[in-house]
Amino acid sequence: MKLTFPLLLLLVVASQPATSATAPYREFDPMEDYLPHVKGDMSLSGSYKHWKDPANLDWRMAGSPDENWKLNWKFMDPPFNASVHGGHFAADRGEEIFHELNRKVGRFGKFAICLGARKGNLKGLRSQYPMYRKDLKRVAGLEEVIEHCAAKEGRELQNGSYDNSAVSVYVASQSTGMPIKINVTANGPLKAAYERGRKVFHARAGRINLACSSCHTYQIGLHLRGTVVTSPYGDVAHYPVYRTRYQLQSLHLRFVECNLATRTQPLKPGSQAYTDIEVFLTGLTNGYPVSVPSERD
Amino acid sequence: MRICTRFLCLFAFISTAWLSPSAFSSGFPTDFAVDPSVVNLTLEPKVVVNSGKLEWVPFSRDLTPWVSLSYADKRPAAKPRQVKLVEPLQGDPVRGRALAMARDKGYCIVCHQLPGEQWAGTVGALLLSFKKHKYPDELVFQQIFDSRVFNPISVMPPYGTFGILNEQEIRDLVAYLQSLD
Ligand code: HEC
Ligand code: HEC
Repeated sequence: MKLTFPLLLLLVVASQPATSATAPYREFDPMEDYLPHVKGDMSLSGSYKHWKDPANLDWRMAGSPDENWKLNWKFMDPPFNASVHGGHFAADRGEEIFHELNRKVGRFGKFAICLGARKGNLKGLRSQYPMYRKDLKRVAGLEEVIEHCAAKEGRELQNGSYDNSAVSVYVASQSTGMPIKINVTANGPLKAAYERGRKVFHARAGRINLACSSCHTYQIGLHLRGTVVTSPYGDVAHYPVYRTRYQLQSLHLRFVECNLATRTQPLKPGSQAYTDIEVFLTGLTNGYPVSVPSERD
Repeated sequence: MRICTRFLCLFAFISTAWLSPSAFSSGFPTDFAVDPSVVNLTLEPKVVVNSGKLEWVPFSRDLTPWVSLSYADKRPAAKPRQVKLVEPLQGDPVRGRALAMARDKGYCIVCHQLPGEQWAGTVGALLLSFKKHKYPDELVFQQIFDSRVFNPISVMPPYGTFGILNEQEIRDLVAYLQSLD
């Protein structure tokens, strides 16, 4: 029998799955298990052995375009990278804004307390983000909390804006060298966010049907035209980062960049999906020292 | 004009039905970076030095028709499709090569090595001297149209099913690959 076009239309309409209750059809990359600690990279890309000691990287590898991906670009982090760059200007700007906002109420600055600094001391604070925030009733990244706490002081610092990221770099710089430490294995909102983030990381999306993991888990070390994909382990420690070709970039804006590059509708910084990915990637950075101010190409 | 084959007519209908942004009955998800008043809808961020505002400017294309990572985006993705190539191929290898290089068309070069190009990708198979494989056109057509039929976890984009390339463009690419000595 030869099907006619109108008949085909009918068949297609009839075969649409019921939309109620059933989850929409989506595809996922094979769901990899990850150790929520930076050393888990040894069973993913194996490159960790080359960058686990940030102060003593192999100069020769850093200078070799075929090999430098194995250093996970850590040669652009302090202390190995001692040059002065846009990230330092951002830290200065962030420090200024921080002090403007950090009015003393009693013994401690109110803004620092709002960010979660015990006794107003910023040391180690960056290592604990993202965290569950009672006031927001959800898990939030540092930049979202900076926006929230600045608003309380009457200042607009939109998530992803230069000034927001500058404050974030300044706050992070007070923890430089201290290992990232979030608990994503004990039952609770952080673990739930980590698991959601792992799933989103493997979800195919966009015009060319790729997941984050299609590149960042399954194509590590391979060339995509001129660039080489590196391990997702250890990535969040240098954010927000100064991009020599771009500007100051928060982690969520990096997600936007990868979404746009793979022709996927980007989300706003602070969206739940991005925050969940952030928690997931932060889990994979546990144990690696905060490394700001840093730069990347 | 080529006569509409049954598989490809079906495809043409599905892609328009599914590409419609009206799939969101009550506006876009609130976390989409979009501006309904600009032609391309999709926005990209612009970081302005010493400012507390994040600026957004129109992106070069509308990306809202395809599924996103937003939890509020409940649209289904397009399922794998098997298609039948109606011979003769009638592809143009010169146009095929141009499509293989074009950023928003084939851009095969990002993953595959093709003759005469530096900085090729190493993700996909080598496509140099492709002719020697003696693959039937039909197989190559399906691989480009929707490779998930052969490999459910293929990272190669489903060019036909997702409406990235039309039927003639895929024919041109097949002709180009089959011409590589
Ligand atoms: C087409 C491949 C591809 C896809 C898909 C992709 N990325 Fe990327 N991404 C890259 C490349 C290439 C780089 C730059 C090299 C590197 O650092 O790995 C990069 C860089 C990054 C970085 C910065 C790493 C650093 O050290 O600063 C992050 C974070 C990141 N991607 C996250 C994501 C997330 C999250 C997704 C999914 C929403 C995603 N990427 C999807 C290719 C991809
Ligand atoms: C995102 C990376 C990517 C892009 C872009 C891509 N491919 Fe592929 N391609 C692959 C991978 C990976 C394979 C291996 C088989 C599989 O996984 O489907 C493949 C396999 C193939 C094969 C089968 C080769 C063989 O010998 O078995 C052909 C033909 C092919 N691709 C053609 C193309 C053409 C033409 C384009 C551009 C229109 C293209 N590919 C774009 C990743 C890609």
